Amino acid sequence: MSAFAFANPAILIGLLALPVIWWLLRLTPPRPKSEVFPPLRILASVLKREETPANSPWWLTLLRMALAAAIILAIANPVINPRANSLNGSGPLVLLVDNSWATAPDWDRRVQTAEALIADAEDAGVPVSVTFTADATHDAVPGSAAAAREKLAAAAPKPLVPDRERAAAAVTEAINGTRPGTVVVLSDGVANASDETALDALASLSPAELRVIEGDGARTMALTEATNNADAMSVTATRLATGMPQSMAVNALDPQGRALASGTLDFAASAATATAEISAPFELRNDFARLAVADLATAGSVRLLDDGFRRRRVALISGDSGSDFQPLLQPLYYISRALQPYADLIEPTTADLSVSIPQILEGNPSAIVMADVGRLPADVYEPLQQWISRGGTLIRFAGPRLAAAPADDPLVPVILRQGERALGGAMSWSEPQAMADFPATGPFAGLPRADDITVNRQVLAEPTPDLADRTWASLADGTPLVTTREQEAGRIVLFHTSAEATWSNMPLSGTFVEMLRRLVQMARAGGAASATADTAAALPPFRLLNADGTLTTETGIARPITIAAGATPVASFDHPPGLYGTEDGFSAVNLLAPGTELQPFNASLDGVNVVREGLIGGEAQSLRPLLFALAFLFIVLDSLVVLFMNGAFSRLPRLSRSAAAGLAVLAGLLLVAHPGEGLAQDAQPGDDVIMEHLDTTHLAYVVTGEAEVDQLSEQGLQGLTQFLTYRTTLEPGAPVGVDIATDELAFYPIIYWPISANAPMPSQAAISRIDAYMRNGGTVLFDTQDQYSGLHSSGMTTPNGERLQAILGNIDIPPLEPTPEDHVLARSFYLLNDFPGRYAGSPLWVEARQEAAQTGSELSSSGDGVTPLLITANDLAGAWAVDAQGTPVLPTVPSDAMQREFAYRAGVNIMMYMLTGNYKADQVHVPALLERLGQ
Amino acid sequence: MASIGQIVEQTTGGEVLSRARARAALVPDCMVEARRIANTVIAGWHGRRKRGIGENFWQFRPYAEGESLAAIDWRRSARDDHTYVRDREWEAAHTVWLWADLSPSMMYKSTFGAVSKESRALVLMLALAEILARSGERIGCPGIMEPVSARNAAERLATAIMHAPQTAGLPETGMIRGHSDIVLIGDFLDDADRIMERITPLARRGLRGHVVEIADPAEETFPYSGRTEFTDPETGEKLVSGRAETVREDYRRAYLSRRETLGESLRRLGWSFAFHRTDHLASEALVTVHGYLSGLPAGGINGGTRT
Repeated sequence: MSAFAFANPAILIGLLALPVIWWLLRLTPPRPKSEVFPPLRILASVLKREETPANSPWWLTLLRMALAAAIILAIANPVINPRANSLNGSGPLVLLVDNSWATAPDWDRRVQTAEALIADAEDAGVPVSVTFTADATHDAVPGSAAAAREKLAAAAPKPLVPDRERAAAAVTEAINGTRPGTVVVLSDGVANASDETALDALASLSPAELRVIEGDGARTMALTEATNNADAMSVTATRLATGMPQSMAVNALDPQGRALASGTLDFAASAATATAEISAPFELRNDFARLAVADLATAGSVRLLDDGFRRRRVALISGDSGSDFQPLLQPLYYISRALQPYADLIEPTTADLSVSIPQILEGNPSAIVMADVGRLPADVYEPLQQWISRGGTLIRFAGPRLAAAPADDPLVPVILRQGERALGGAMSWSEPQAMADFPATGPFAGLPRADDITVNRQVLAEPTPDLADRTWASLADGTPLVTTREQEAGRIVLFHTSAEATWSNMPLSGTFVEMLRRLVQMARAGGAASATADTAAALPPFRLLNADGTLTTETGIARPITIAAGATPVASFDHPPGLYGTEDGFSAVNLLAPGTELQPFNASLDGVNVVREGLIGGEAQSLRPLLFALAFLFIVLDSLVVLFMNGAFSRLPRLSRSAAAGLAVLAGLLLVAHPGEGLAQDAQPGDDVIMEHLDTTHLAYVVTGEAEVDQLSEQGLQGLTQFLTYRTTLEPGAPVGVDIATDELAFYPIIYWPISANAPMPSQAAISRIDAYMRNGGTVLFDTQDQYSGLHSSGMTTPNGERLQAILGNIDIPPLEPTPEDHVLARSFYLLNDFPGRYAGSPLWVEARQEAAQTGSELSSSGDGVTPLLITANDLAGAWAVDAQGTPVLPTVPSDAMQREFAYRAGVNIMMYMLTGNYKADQVHVPALLERLGQ
Repeated sequence: MASIGQIVEQTTGGEVLSRARARAALVPDCMVEARRIANTVIAGWHGRRKRGIGENFWQFRPYAEGESLAAIDWRRSARDDHTYVRDREWEAAHTVWLWADLSPSMMYKSTFGAVSKESRALVLMLALAEILARSGERIGCPGIMEPVSARNAAERLATAIMHAPQTAGLPETGMIRGHSDIVLIGDFLDDADRIMERITPLARRGLRGHVVEIADPAEETFPYSGRTEFTDPETGEKLVSGRAETVREDYRRAYLSRRETLGESLRRLGWSFAFHRTDHLASEALVTVHGYLSGLPAGGINGGTRT
């Protein structure tokens, strides 16, 4: 086979033009700039030393010649490894094309190869028979080349294993005795069980030539097995080309196709299989939906995972309804803590087992854990048994109730002796027992012996011949600790000790967690197989894998599959690989069975000369792009040389320097122009107001909408502010009137609310804002200003009192009491007995202290012991109010200077109480503290 | 890239008439320009710093026997016992020959210069003529105009130039007699030796000379780069430089050394040498040359060369 040829050799005549081009290039040097220059003689004396070429230098000419030659050669289109197939014989061309999963990566090349063969057949005028081995039906009757091309165009790789035998049979039948010319097997390179038969059948046609064309198979790789181990998922892969060591990444993808974890397949040299470990937390592994070899897109390089790899649903049932006060004595406490990370836990909604167990069974859990359930309601045994038979796993723990249960319980794996066995204790010689090594066969195999576990109490199994086989864990003295019994597809497991820490300390150990995890992992993921107990139903196709290894919803001609329990489903034409079932539960059908190894297709056949060759798509390489690229490179080079010779770069350094300087200046200007742009704009309008309110404490009053009241409130708070500034270190800012419907209330420690019946009733939203303010720790000082508060004094209800009741009716207020004598409010700055305002006599109502009540009100807890509301009728603001000159606005009733002074003092105490909270409460305890210190 | 230099109003060899016409068209403009810059030079009747025929008092000296009695200044003599003669300063008119090179190489003007070298040379010559005529000097132009002493000498010189045939090289100086000044304006791009060959006999005959070299900035800085073909406007000779920027330094060195050599040789003869670039103001050169003419020592201003 010639390794080099020209597609258009006629163009090579163009090479004859090269000498002409050479002559032209030599003749016309680049045209110089023309300059008049009077001092030419001086210049001539200088230039004598310089060589002034009249022609372009030889190397430039050579470059241009090479450029021209490259273009001419590129147009002539030289091809390396040109295809030189020719058909033998005069019979029809028989094409047996594999469209199996392994052909997906190089399908285009295969189609090209087949098309070339068909073109050859068309030239030779022989009919063409095209058969695809992975198709269900074969139409191998030889037809025209056009028809063959149509069939080729319609074919696509299938995510299946080819069936060459059937295809060969179809060819034999369709050929019908005619002696075919060339029989071509366009193979995917993977051996199949029936290859020999197929080749025999083809050879028996006695074709003029039997040719096998296959790809290199370097990318034929398949995942054959995935198992979910304790700490990692192990993936086994097999490859076709076993020569070189190879390393491939395997990604674990979630249902949305996002990669969650990855492992590495390291094929040793000449090894056909490799195993990768994908380490990921158990919760993450639950989300694995499929495994895929990175960079490979075939159906074989994807391993679908189904519910078998999923999180289990586990129902927890306890015989002891238990009390919430002692959670550590609850048997389910340890189980749920152990299983929480690995399983979805279902708790019964009611304690009534006859109701809750059928409910749980409807949810179809993978496993049910029963902790110390002695006797179940009679009518739940039947459904529970059925559930176990269909594949459920029942895990039981012993306990006092189980020990006391009658021996005929069908839901225990072994026959139990009545009562329990106590090990150790005052009346016993025996010692608490440690655990023996875990047997090598059970699910606990491989766990280290738990030396830290001692068992004080257990239920004992009656010895039976098969007891040892059914024991998964035992104590040091040989008595079984965990026993099991299979019941049809399901299983019952019994822990012979209790699930809480009273009978043993096993629930406290890490071994307990691991044992439970393994048991639950062993349980069947989908729960019981189906509701109809006897036959497994046919699962409809849900998502199917296409040849590129992606899941599609096109289920096409796929038929529902019936999967027997425990059997691994096999992909076939009717059941292509994919997921079968529904979104709630599905089974995965994978292309290759576990343990499959890819073997190279063995096409040698005794007595028949088989020609092997590769696909054409890759081998025949056109040099045209390379030559054009070379020519382009020459053009660029030539342009650079010409520019250089004409001095275009003489000013370049200066230019670049100035450009760099310009850029620097520009950057600097930008920086100067936008100095603050680099910072985030998080300032909001109104921030300055907020900051002002936060910097200084302000007294606030509620704007009632009644001008006189509001003015009096402001004057009153102004007076109190002045008094506070004179007498205390607190220097509040100017009083602020707040609109409780709109303004932000959180800035103020206390809000003074004069209740006026004439003012409009605040809206429900405003009241709920006040409620929220009080919940968040604020305090509202309600003042009915009428000397007689309406609280607790029925019969003397004033209009203002009614209004206060109307407002408070919508607020969740705590119980109130008049300020007790030893309340912090009476001690926080001045020592006060009462809190007069313009009037004296009305008590100041505060939240009742809760120490004794123990009922944990929300309001009081959030306020750090500060009462959320104060109610008085003494018109505090009236007494505090001063005008601009500082003289009181209103007289006290009775007119008494001391009463006004006490009113101010009451205001100071209230403010101090607001700002210091229960810190000042310590003052109340000073006598007791001093007494203690005195000791 | 547009070429840097060009020949202004280039005329081929035989078309003397059109060439003359072009020059004639150029002269009035130069005349106006010359008037303008001449006004910037303050000049007047200049004395000869020795006694002679003149109008201004120079000195009193004792009367010598044989002198005309009319020469005695009786007013002075009356003040003491001697008789005095009043000497007047000699104010004889001087002949100044002006010559400008109007060969094709002077037609050159580059993008860096304001005007062509010829234009600048004419302006300088006419301005000098104007100034000198105001000073009462006799103005002549070798081969073109006999020396005249007239206030309109500059106009007459301009008229003469308009009608003059094309000349090349240094003028015929046979008609120059006696001790007169000669001002030569040109580019002097020939070899310094050849120029000196022509000049030395003049100096030997006692002529005082002033040489003004007019240069275009492009000739001095050589701003060419890349592959360039240079053409001599006089001989038509061509020279191609592959990368013109590479010879820039060498060229400048040769150009400046030629000027140095020329200037040095002239100074040795006692002549003054000034050079002028067309991107500078014409009045600068005018002041320099006028300074030399007014008796400043040769090489007085800036050592005789201006940069």
